[in-house]
Amino acid sequence: MVGIDGAGINGAGAIAADGGMFGAQARAQYAALARLRWEMFSHGLRSRKGALELGARTVSFVFYAIGGLALGVGAGLAAFALTAGNQWRFLPILFWAVFFVWQVVPIMLASFQEQFDLGILLRFPVRFGSYYLLYVVFGLLDVSTILGGLCCAGILVGITLARPALFASTALGLIIFAAFNILLVRSIFAWIDRWLAQRKTREILGAVFMVLILSLQLLNPALHKHRNQGNSAPLGRNATKEQAQQKIQEYQRNKADFQARYGPWLGTVNEVQQWLPPGLAAKALQQRVQRQRDPASGSALQSGPLQSLGLLGLYVLGAGGVLAARLRAEYRGESLGVAPSRKKVAASRAKSARREGAGLLDGPGPIAAVMEKELRTLLRTLPLLYAIGAPLLLVLVFSGAFIRNGPQAHIFPLALPLCIVYAQLGFTRLFYNNLGAEGMGIQLYFLSPTPMRTVLLAKNLFHSVLFGLTILVAGTLAILRLGEPDGVVVAATVAWLLFSLPANLAAGNIFSLTMPYRVNPGRITRQGGSQANALGALLAQLVAMGLGAAVFGLCWYLDKMWLAVPIFLVLAAGAIVVWMRGLSNADAMANKRRDSLIAALIEKGSG
Amino acid sequence: METAAIQTHGLTRRFGALTAVDDVTLSVAPGQFFGFLGPNGAGKSTTIKMLTGLLEPSAGTIEILGQPFSAGALELKRQIGVVPEGMALMGRLTAPEYLRFVGRMYGLDKATTNQRTDELLEFMHLADESRKLVTDFSHGMQKKLALAAAVIHGPKVLFLDEPFEGVDAIAAGMLKSMLQGMINRGATIFLTTHVLEIVERLCSHVAIISQGRLVANGSLEALRAGVQSTLPGAEQEQRLTLEEIFLSIVGAGGVQESAQELSWLA
Repeated sequence: MVGIDGAGINGAGAIAADGGMFGAQARAQYAALARLRWEMFSHGLRSRKGALELGARTVSFVFYAIGGLALGVGAGLAAFALTAGNQWRFLPILFWAVFFVWQVVPIMLASFQEQFDLGILLRFPVRFGSYYLLYVVFGLLDVSTILGGLCCAGILVGITLARPALFASTALGLIIFAAFNILLVRSIFAWIDRWLAQRKTREILGAVFMVLILSLQLLNPALHKHRNQGNSAPLGRNATKEQAQQKIQEYQRNKADFQARYGPWLGTVNEVQQWLPPGLAAKALQQRVQRQRDPASGSALQSGPLQSLGLLGLYVLGAGGVLAARLRAEYRGESLGVAPSRKKVAASRAKSARREGAGLLDGPGPIAAVMEKELRTLLRTLPLLYAIGAPLLLVLVFSGAFIRNGPQAHIFPLALPLCIVYAQLGFTRLFYNNLGAEGMGIQLYFLSPTPMRTVLLAKNLFHSVLFGLTILVAGTLAILRLGEPDGVVVAATVAWLLFSLPANLAAGNIFSLTMPYRVNPGRITRQGGSQANALGALLAQLVAMGLGAAVFGLCWYLDKMWLAVPIFLVLAAGAIVVWMRGLSNADAMANKRRDSLIAALIEKGSG
Repeated sequence: METAAIQTHGLTRRFGALTAVDDVTLSVAPGQFFGFLGPNGAGKSTTIKMLTGLLEPSAGTIEILGQPFSAGALELKRQIGVVPEGMALMGRLTAPEYLRFVGRMYGLDKATTNQRTDELLEFMHLADESRKLVTDFSHGMQKKLALAAAVIHGPKVLFLDEPFEGVDAIAAGMLKSMLQGMINRGATIFLTTHVLEIVERLCSHVAIISQGRLVANGSLEALRAGVQSTLPGAEQEQRLTLEEIFLSIVGAGGVQESAQELSWLA
C-alpha cells in the first residue's frame, strides 16, 4: 500500500514530527507563524489604509504606554508606602486592584483590539501543546496583560526598594500571580466565545448579561441609600469651628455605626478573599514578612508562604486546565457554527412560518426594512449588545465617585452628564462602524435600487432610538443612584445630547464608509478591529465632549448654567445640518469606495 | 435592430499595474442564456462585478436593457438580479427574514414579498429551515437562498457568479429547470461557472475570457465550427465538447508537463 510516507510527507525535506511543543517541527511552525504575522504587517503597509492603521497603532501604543506606566508607578508607590509603613493588612487591596485591571480592561477594550484568530492553524499538523502555547503567548500581547505586567513590575520595585530582602519572594509570588491572571483572562474569553457560538447559549448569555447589568444598577442605589442614612450635608466654606467639630463627631459616630453594622460582614469577606488568588499572593508576602520578623516561630509559620504560593499555583493549574478544556475541544475540530437542529412536523412548520412572517416593523419600504433588520441583527449579535452594555456596567462603578454622604444634592453637580457621556461610549461601534456587522450582506446595498443614503438614514434612525432608550435608562438609574440633579443641568444635558447625537452620527457615517472593519457576530474576542477607526472615533467623540465640557465649564463659572441650553441648541442645529449634508453625499462616497468597503467587510473577515 | 439586454464597450478594469479586464466588448441579446467562461484569474468575477455595480470600471461603458448603467442607476437595478461571488447574504437573519428584507429593498409591497418568500422557500426546499440562521446553513443551502434572493423581484436580467458551486446534484437539477423557465419567459441570464457541462446544456451563447481579454464570443455552434475548422483532416468530423473547445481556445499550455514535474507526489 502506498502511504503518505511514500508520498513525500515524511520523505526528504520533511522535519521530524516528534519532539513535543519545543521540537524541531514545532519550532519551524512558530517561525512560520512569526513570518506570516510579519508579512501580513508589511503587506498591510502597502495601502494607505494600512499606513493609517500603523499610525493609529503607534498613537494607541503611546497612549497605552503612558497609562500603563502611570498604573505601574502608582502600584509601585502604593507598594512602597505599604511596605515602608508596615501596613501589610492593606496589601490585598493592591493585589485585588491589579486583578481588577487585568480582568476588566479586556471588557472595555474587546471592541477595539485586533486579535489574531489562531483557529486557522488547526488545518496544519500543529500539536495541541503548540496550539495552547501560541494561544497563551498571543495573550501576552493583550493590553490588559501589558498593563497588569507593568503593575506587577511596579509592585516588585516598590516592595524591593522598601525592603530589598523581600525581592526573591515578591518576584516569585508576582510571577505566579501573573501566570494566573494571564491564563484566567484567556480562559474567560475562550469560554465566552464558546457560549456565544451557539444560538441557545448566546441568547441565554445575552439575557443573563442584561439582567446582571440592570440588577447591579438597581442594587447599588439601595445599598448606598442604606449607607447614607443619617449623613448630613457637607460643610460650607464659612462653617464655624463648632460646626466642624460636630461634623467630626458625626463622622466618628457614623464610622462606629458602619463598623458595628458591616464589621462582621467585612471580616467574613476578608477571610474569604485570603483564599482567592489576589488574597493568596498578598498573604504569601504577609507571611514572609512575619517570618522575617519572628524567625523563631513555629514550623507552621515557616511553611505559610509556601502553602499560600502552592495554593496560588493550584489556581494557576485550574485556570490552565479550564483553558485547556476549551482549547482541546477547538483543537479536535469542534464545529461551533451549527445551531441546534429543530425537528418540526408539517403543522408546526406552517405555524412557525406564519410566526416568522410577522414583521417586527411592518412599515413599507426600505427604511422600515433596514430598521427591522438592524433590530434582529442586534438582538443576535452579542458583541454589539456587549459594547452597549459594558459602559453601563462601568457607569455603575464610576458613579460611586460622585455619591455624597447626604440625602440632598450631589458633591459634583455635573455627575449626571458625565455618567451619560460615559454610557454614550457604548455606541461607538454602532455609530462609527455602522456597516461592520453586514459581512457579505454589504453587497446587497450596492446591488439593490435602495440608495446608500436611505440605508444610512435608516441605520441612524434605529441607532438614535436605541441611543435615546439607553440614555433614558442610564439617566434614570443615575438619578436613582445619585439623587435628583438640578433641572437646568438636566435641560443642558439634554440639549448637549441633541448636539452630540447628530454630530456623532455625521462623523460615524463618514468613518463607516471610509474605515470600516468587520464585526464577527459570534465572538467578543478575536475581532478584526481597526485602530484607525477606534482612534478617529475617540478623537471625534472627544471633540464633541470637549465642546460640551467647555460650554458647561464656562456657564458654571459664570453661574449661568441656563445659558448652556441655547448654546447647545445652536450647536445642535449646526450638527443636524452637517449630518444631513453628509447623508446627501453618502452615495457618492460609498460608490467611490465600494471596492475597498466590500473587501474590508468580506475578505478580511473571511479568515 | 433589437436592443441588447447587456452591452459593453471597451470595458476595462485596472488594479494598479495589473489589468484584470482589458477592453472587453460584448453584447447579450434579450432572452439569451449567456455563458461567460475563463480559467482562474481570467477576469470573470471582475467583469460581473462591473456589470452589476459592485466595481467601478477603469474605462469603457455598460448598457443594460439599452440604458447606461452605473452604480447610481437605481431604476435599472430593479430590473436586474444578482448572485455575486460573496452571495450577499446576511448571516444573522433567518431565510424568511432575509428574503423579506431583500423584497422590501427592491420595493416590493408586503403582500407580494410574503407570498414570494413562501413560494421561493418551498421551491428551494428551505421551508423546513425557517428558524435557522443563514450563518448556520450549509454552503449549498446558502447558494439556493442567494438565488432565491436574486429572483424575488422578478428581474429581467440575471447575473450569476458560480451559482452551482457547492450545490448537490438534486438541487442543481432543480435550479437548472428554474433558470430554463426564466429564459422561456423572456429573461436574460449571464452566467459564469467552471462546470462546462452546465454551460453546454443550458447556454445558447458563450464568451471566453483569458488574461483579461475576450478571446471568443458567439453561439456554441459557431465556436464549435470555428475550432473544428482549425483541426487537421479527419478530426474536423468529430463533434467537439465544450471542454475541448475551451481547452483549444484558452490552451492547456504545459498542464501535463507541470504535473509530471511534481515527482514527489504519489
